[in-house]
Amino acid sequence: MIVIQTLLIVLLILMLYKVLSNLHTYRMKAWMKIFGALFTLIAIGVVLFPNSSNRVAKWVGVGRGADLLLYLLTIAFIFTVLHIYIKGKQEERRLVILTRKVAILEAELKQKRSTR
Amino acid sequence: MKNSDVAVIVPVYNEEKVIAQTISGALKVFPLVVCVDDGSTDGSADQIAQTGACLVQHSINLGQGAALQTGIDFALQNPDVKYFVTYDADGQHNLADVQKMLDLIRTENIDIVVGSRFLGKAENMGTFKRFLLKLAVAFSNRTTGLALTDTHNGLRVCNRKVASELKLTMPDFAHASEIIERIAEKKFSYKEVPVTIVYTDYSRAKGQSMLNAINITFDLLLNRLIKK
Repeated sequence: MIVIQTLLIVLLILMLYKVLSNLHTYRMKAWMKIFGALFTLIAIGVVLFPNSSNRVAKWVGVGRGADLLLYLLTIAFIFTVLHIYIKGKQEERRLVILTRKVAILEAELKQKRSTR
Repeated sequence: MKNSDVAVIVPVYNEEKVIAQTISGALKVFPLVVCVDDGSTDGSADQIAQTGACLVQHSINLGQGAALQTGIDFALQNPDVKYFVTYDADGQHNLADVQKMLDLIRTENIDIVVGSRFLGKAENMGTFKRFLLKLAVAFSNRTTGLALTDTHNGLRVCNRKVASELKLTMPDFAHASEIIERIAEKKFSYKEVPVTIVYTDYSRAKGQSMLNAINITFDLLLNRLIKK
């Protein structure tokens, strides 16, 4: 096995381990774990048999495996950015509700103290 | 006391130079002024605390829309308040206009009265700002089916029904359009009143950047998409 293959496989397994252990703490949905495991398996397969990506690429009508990878990566990137954007907006709304609650409670407390 | 059923809601963000003056002016006519300090980093909160206004403080900066909603929520808790006034902190509004709007809402039983610079006077308004605002009005009337002449005026008077059903979700400056949308959606009765807005050097320097119109339009469109 070439050095790069070993390196990539080790990195992939480490990544999977990291993701899975974090997912557990955040109680993400189970299918995310399955997706992660599947992704790792496919990635290891591609690392071991670099030509397999070429074959898949030809099968779906793309010139080279590297191109296919780029396309998939682009889609994944756009998806991730959108996901983070929507998550951010949701977080913002939650933060607004929380801050408002704190502000009003604080003001009421002040009012009560001054009328006492 | 006169106007004891009115709450004047003033969203404040870094206005230490003018806020005390704005509040003391308003307090002369309206006993209840609710200042929402939207996480100001200057001395605004201290300035407000020295006046007789209620201070409601956001721990972090959320935006003018969020501040307005906080002020409304706070004022709603007081059952004596029947009318809610939204009022800008930089003193560009005219208290006589507020009284005029209140007289109208009291006598004609309207849900919400909004001020209009284009029916009234806008002193020292830039040409580009005027154009942009007119554009916003045209766009808003087209999409909501309302007939307004000024959709981005900070001066509004509404009754309890509107105040409790407004529920603004756009934290930033897009709230102005959101209020208009809510009027159309909930079929509130509305009327416009000509108001005078004085653009001082201070308010012009503080005012939002024209470029922000792009952000607001984008947020509004996105919000509509997500809702559907």
